[in-house]
Amino acid sequence: MGFTSGQIFWVKNKNQIFSVISSVSPCLSGSKAVFRMTLLTRILLLSLLLAPSVVTAEESSCPEHFAGGQAPSITNLKLSPQTRDVCYSGYAFKHSGLTRTPLYSAEHLTSARLLQAKGMRRHSTFFPDPNIPAAGRAELSHYAHSGYDRGHVAPSADMPDQQSQQECFSLANMVPQVPEINRGVWEKVEKSVRKMAKERGDIYVVSGPLFMGNNIQLMGGAVMVPTHTFKAIYDPGRGESGAYLVDNVPGAQPTFISIAELEKLAGMNLFPSVAKTSKSVAMNAQGMKAGKPRTYAGRRGYANAKSTL
Amino acid sequence: MPKVRFKPYDNEADTFQIAGLTIENRLDRISLFGSLDITLDREGLKSAKELQLLVDAVLAELERRELPEKITILPTETVANPFA
Repeated sequence: MGFTSGQIFWVKNKNQIFSVISSVSPCLSGSKAVFRMTLLTRILLLSLLLAPSVVTAEESSCPEHFAGGQAPSITNLKLSPQTRDVCYSGYAFKHSGLTRTPLYSAEHLTSARLLQAKGMRRHSTFFPDPNIPAAGRAELSHYAHSGYDRGHVAPSADMPDQQSQQECFSLANMVPQVPEINRGVWEKVEKSVRKMAKERGDIYVVSGPLFMGNNIQLMGGAVMVPTHTFKAIYDPGRGESGAYLVDNVPGAQPTFISIAELEKLAGMNLFPSVAKTSKSVAMNAQGMKAGKPRTYAGRRGYANAKSTL
Repeated sequence: MPKVRFKPYDNEADTFQIAGLTIENRLDRISLFGSLDITLDREGLKSAKELQLLVDAVLAELERRELPEKITILPTETVANPFA
């Protein structure tokens, strides 16, 4: 069965170019080494620990995707275990083996890049990411029969060429998303961010899932379903920033909040190079009034769709 | 670029586009989303033909298989939030 057509075809997994840095979870044997350290080393180590977060921000092997070349840093240490940083040509992400999702995906969007992306026809394949150990990654089978969409964190419509296009179909760039959200408001958020990039010329975007509340839904026995998704924007030209936040619940509407507010919820410093004063005020986004996050649950009084916001 | 057959309901990997319409292959569904204008021009004709090929292939597969009344969605489990 099936069909073959001269017009419908796509490239099967092209060679992916990437680099990986593993942020290995601390192992106990390391504590022995600490005892052997000289006093000077200890003082140095202590001064590092006490240094401001800007200094301890992680160095990325693909700084071009991040504002000021600095990747987001984790502030809620519960996010740290089993994380892995992966660089692709169109975006970079930090993956969690606990949730089997990215914690964030980061992109640098310019008007030129989006102009190039516009003509792209997307013929791709979703794939389990070979950069993530099998024990901690999402497989295609985890999403099968789940009713959830494979929601792109870094969207495919932002990708300017065939290589970045295919790379963004990594399951390590996906979260289980309610179809109505993925195809509805989230798609609108993605579009308005592209519009913003075209108008402003140059923005940095960090997108990701939030896992809030005491309990989380586990899909396919492996992948955690986020309670929210966010999209944080920084405009280096104007020093302005802000973030969209959407509940992963049917009927949810996006809210626009400050980066400072989002960072508290996310447990990450999303733009370590950006001044606190810029992060504390949400910029004017088209059609969005900065304010308190609204939720579908709040408006309709759905008891079991409670949000912790 | 090698031609690849799109086999409806065969895998969870294939995806392609017809203009603004995204098509995703899943084991229990074919997802179509986005929007598509079938314009009264050559481009429109191309899109319409692609859409027809897709629907024909989907129909053939649906008719070939023994179908339940409704698909079964696997339930999720509730687990403790590792980040809380």
